[in-house]
Amino acid sequence: MHIDLKKEIKESGPGKIGIIILLLMIAVALLAPVLARYDPYQQSTASLLSPSWNHWLGTNHVGQDVWSRLVFGARTSLLVGFGVGILSTLLGTIFGVSAALVGGLYEKVVMRIVDAFIVIPMVIIVILISAYIRPSILTLILLLSLLSWQGGARIMRAQALSLKERGHVAAARSFGAHHFYIAWRHIVPDLGPILLVDFIYSVRRAVFMEAGLAFLGITDPTVVSWGMMMRDALSFSYLNVWQWWLVPTGVALSLTIIGLTFVGHAAEPVIEPRLRGAEVA
Amino acid sequence: MLEIKDLRVSYGQDVVLNGIDLELKSGETLAIVGESGTGKTTLGLSIMRLVEGTVRGTIRFNGKDLLTLSDNEMQQIRWSQIAMVFQNANNVLNPIYTVLNQIMEPMIEHGLKSKKEAQDRAAELLGYFGLPQNRFTAYPHQLSGGEQQKVLLAMAMANDPELLILDEPLSSLDAAARAEVGNLIRETDKHCAKLLATHDLDTVSKLADRMAVLYGGKIIEAGPSQDVLSRPRHPYTRALIRAYPNMTTVKDLQGIKGQMARPVSGCPFHPRCTQAIDICRTEVPKLVWNQGRHIACHRGGIITLLSTKNLTKCFGSLKAIESVSLHIEAGETLSLVGQTGSGKTTLAKTIMGLHQPTEGDVYLEGAKVDSRGRDFYKRVQMVFQNPGESLSHRLSVLEAVVEPLDIQEIGTDEERKEKARQVLGEVELPRTNDFLSKYPHQLSGGEMQRVAIARALVLDPALLIADEPTAFLDASIQAKILKLLLNLQEQRGLSMLYITHDIAAARKVSDRIAIMLNGKIIEEGSSNEIVAAPKQGYTRSLLRAASTLRSTKSTIDEGD
Repeated sequence: MHIDLKKEIKESGPGKIGIIILLLMIAVALLAPVLARYDPYQQSTASLLSPSWNHWLGTNHVGQDVWSRLVFGARTSLLVGFGVGILSTLLGTIFGVSAALVGGLYEKVVMRIVDAFIVIPMVIIVILISAYIRPSILTLILLLSLLSWQGGARIMRAQALSLKERGHVAAARSFGAHHFYIAWRHIVPDLGPILLVDFIYSVRRAVFMEAGLAFLGITDPTVVSWGMMMRDALSFSYLNVWQWWLVPTGVALSLTIIGLTFVGHAAEPVIEPRLRGAEVA
Repeated sequence: MLEIKDLRVSYGQDVVLNGIDLELKSGETLAIVGESGTGKTTLGLSIMRLVEGTVRGTIRFNGKDLLTLSDNEMQQIRWSQIAMVFQNANNVLNPIYTVLNQIMEPMIEHGLKSKKEAQDRAAELLGYFGLPQNRFTAYPHQLSGGEQQKVLLAMAMANDPELLILDEPLSSLDAAARAEVGNLIRETDKHCAKLLATHDLDTVSKLADRMAVLYGGKIIEAGPSQDVLSRPRHPYTRALIRAYPNMTTVKDLQGIKGQMARPVSGCPFHPRCTQAIDICRTEVPKLVWNQGRHIACHRGGIITLLSTKNLTKCFGSLKAIESVSLHIEAGETLSLVGQTGSGKTTLAKTIMGLHQPTEGDVYLEGAKVDSRGRDFYKRVQMVFQNPGESLSHRLSVLEAVVEPLDIQEIGTDEERKEKARQVLGEVELPRTNDFLSKYPHQLSGGEMQRVAIARALVLDPALLIADEPTAFLDASIQAKILKLLLNLQEQRGLSMLYITHDIAAARKVSDRIAIMLNGKIIEEGSSNEIVAAPKQGYTRSLLRAASTLRSTKSTIDEGD
């Protein structure tokens, strides 16, 4: 796997923009306590204010500072995004690689489960389950991960099937290595770039899902979330402050997803090298 | 006629012969074979009762125990019934007598002939052994080595002995004289039993009916000489034959590791033996009859390390290998020769368990291999065709060589690194930190293959399967790698399954060659037989197509 992911992304214009956006978002999330001027949860009597020097984006219906909520919302969004990204990539790798190495009945069972999940529309399932259990951030991460590792697993399995035919894997087997050792030392390192692409797509999907679920009002209402902020904005559409709640939030969410999309798109040739020629032409 | 039982000879503390049992029939030639210092001469001298050390046991000659005879009685037998040709001709002959006189001496001394008869007989003998008439009255120093040897033979034969002991009779002669004198010895008096002490296997094959191999004062293998020479069963005998330059074997010369040491507890050969087990160190093996041969070895001679039985592997409807049965002995090289696609690599991978066989079994040291765990891979290792592929591009030289030890969880980190360094030294690679931290792409093809070989050797396997290890290397590097493998075989007793399409290279490294075609072994035999007298048309065409430096413009043709 002599594909340089860094080079791939750097050479693509949108890729660079995507990286910049992502870094910006991560910086905002990390520096939230510094950037925010108020406690995002603190309610006050000064509700429904228009933007001013004290409240850059005004306040909401319970008097919380919208800018502070926007900044802290980035944390929720990225936390869910990266949490799901890591967990679902991990699950996808474990099941994909183990299916490829172990083979036999185990592989058949795992891959049929994967097929089944891919056929079922994930959005509906998540909405149904979330509406029922009102997940906290942690359960949301778990739920989204459990429903989104399957696509990655298929790619990992395909890649591992080809990697396991390599000479050094055969050599390791001829030293008496077991599956775990081979996966850890010889397969996963070579999956690197693909893992990253899978990870980015998982993050993007999770950010989108989290916002969507919050927008529908079926997540933990005590956590600041961009989706929830947009939902509040729409429910106060008869007042002239709603656009200050909606537009910056919408822009932040869109930017995050666009950033992830750009990076993912730039890195895609790693999975499908044939795309490279087409893009040059 | 001659029966030796439990003969022990020692010079002071030095035990030279340690329990020799021998039998010799009338008219038979028995060769006692061994390196210098094994006690061949002592054995001859003991029979003549000329040895200076302490002799115990029995030497029965025509029913009489020579060791219990009085000096006088022995005097009667010596030179009349038992004669000996000594090794150093010019030391044995008396410089102040003419050769004719010297030959007459034993006849007159034993009162068997009058002076006149003795002279006639001496002249006849000298004539028989081809000494020109005008040399009869020469003094020993006037004769060449070959002529002196002839005189000695004539002298020994003077009284028509029943037993002739020949100590290195041909070793001081040049090739032409050797052939001549050899013939004379063979032809002379067919009723006379001959005991031939020599290290020269050519002499053995030309003169001896049976041979006994002596090592460390003991007979370790005995049997019909053609049989033993073509298929030695004791590791020492095989090593001796491998070390002997001759026109029959095609494999490169190989020495024997270590040096003869004594005294040694247990089997005298065990310090140099590559298949020694615990019992070899403690107990002396007995010389026992074993499938047409006498062998003194706790393991019953050279063991069969790995064998396959009707091994078949199908990929779908394609039979990649079909009913392959072969065996590899400890310390030998079996070459598997065949064209691309003949199933060589599939066979190797099936033996290694990288493919599941469709049918058939693999046996390691006689035990069927069911599931291959660490134990199997500790014994059997493989060097893959393409080192660039088989070495992970992510592992440095040190990491790659340590990897098998990591997997097998042998030793501590430090011990593993130490072992890796040692093996890298064995394959003649530098052991500097700089080299150890290099990655495969920084190495040359030859270096990469050496690293791959080192990696396969780090577990001290008994069998190395080398799949075209030199396919990607040029001739000079190939020569180095092949030499390296032969040396490793000499030092470690490594068995090898050497896979190649190049029969010219195969004959240089292998004891036996198996020819593979379309997944089947079509011919198998010792390399010299395969090369000199191939039975199959395909083998002949392989040989015809093999590399040669002679112009073959007009002789290349396909098929048979």
